[in-house]
Amino acid sequence: MGTKVSSGSTGTKYGYFLGCVMPAKMPWAEKATFLVSKHLGLDFDYMKESVCCVRPGVWKAINPDWWLTLTSQNLATAEKQNIVIVDSCNGCYISHWECLQELKEDPEKLEMVNRNLEKAGLQVTLSTDVKHFLQVLYEDVGIGKIKANVVKPLNIRIMRHIGCHARKHDERFPMYFDEIMRATGATIVDTPYDKTCCGLLLYFADPKTSIFERIGVKMQTAKELDIDAYALICSGCYDQFERAVKVYKDEKGIAFETPIVHFSELLALSFGYKPEDFGMMYCRPIPPTKLIQKLKEGK
Amino acid sequence: MSGDSDRIKSWEKLLEAGLKATEHNQDEEAKMYPLRKQFRPAAPNIAKASLKRDFEVGLVYYVGDDVEQDRALCGLEKKPPTAHTFKEALERKRKILEESGIMKELGFDKKKGYFKY
Repeated sequence: MGTKVSSGSTGTKYGYFLGCVMPAKMPWAEKATFLVSKHLGLDFDYMKESVCCVRPGVWKAINPDWWLTLTSQNLATAEKQNIVIVDSCNGCYISHWECLQELKEDPEKLEMVNRNLEKAGLQVTLSTDVKHFLQVLYEDVGIGKIKANVVKPLNIRIMRHIGCHARKHDERFPMYFDEIMRATGATIVDTPYDKTCCGLLLYFADPKTSIFERIGVKMQTAKELDIDAYALICSGCYDQFERAVKVYKDEKGIAFETPIVHFSELLALSFGYKPEDFGMMYCRPIPPTKLIQKLKEGK
Repeated sequence: MSGDSDRIKSWEKLLEAGLKATEHNQDEEAKMYPLRKQFRPAAPNIAKASLKRDFEVGLVYYVGDDVEQDRALCGLEKKPPTAHTFKEALERKRKILEESGIMKELGFDKKKGYFKY
């Protein structure tokens, strides 16, 4: 494990929102995120008692007021716990962030939401904040401190999928993602498909395009370019990558070999943590065996 | 890819699960009652299985024995500190769904565990 350069905290109590996908399908990412956050000296714990964000792609389409009401349960819970909500899933971030903005801007909606929450003994007072994990690392911790904690630069080539909702604030979050990934020593290989949607929301309506013309094209490109890992941060996007990889493997007999890794895993490795510290080798559709071997050999 | 090779069986299963969670399958009933006008239900069939899980768990995915084992292998608590563990959070969610009229509008019968349409 790497040496901590500084244990300074930002003074903010962060509550990490796990969402639906991460605790069930990405335990290695959950563990790595906590290793990295604690390593950087953040006051970082779980947001407890959380429920689904709720998926804006589904609920907003069904009824925007229902989405506002159900999402507000998490905002109210965060207020009770006196935490800033931290999302690393772009879908969860956009749901919480947009809900909070809408309630701040529309007193009638706030009143409607509180009327509904009241029945469960909850209330939103707009006293919490919502941040993306990229924001916490780049804006609150700072790229300088992150670079100072890199003790084992990663000599690997990655493709990255940052995700559509991370572009909510123009190119700010994608820039954070790239700078932090480059700080780990990884080389980012640009491709024409980097901004292409993962297809998660499209899956319900048009599964063929969603699987074959989104993830299929990306994974095929990674194969052709002999990429070491496909890095992403969004759990919703991961869910779609995993789904597509399984469709290819189980239904089409095509096995992709590029491991899909979480941003926090690469950061943890560069901080000196070992793959076994966060279970990198377990429960994933494409085992990162070659990647781990390459990192061990320091090639 | 084209033709039968681009069928996605897992998607078809998801749709089937949604239809199984529906009391009145309008397409089927239209064969018996061709003059009956179909309407678009609040919840689309393809999303019903995940909505049902959300109502049962508070989140879209279950955390069962296999997931608990995976979490332990990664050095985590077996159960995440979400509504999977804190059942009171799930109860609050159900109360909001119920009392705000969302369940009724969606036509979800929590006792039977399926959507009316």
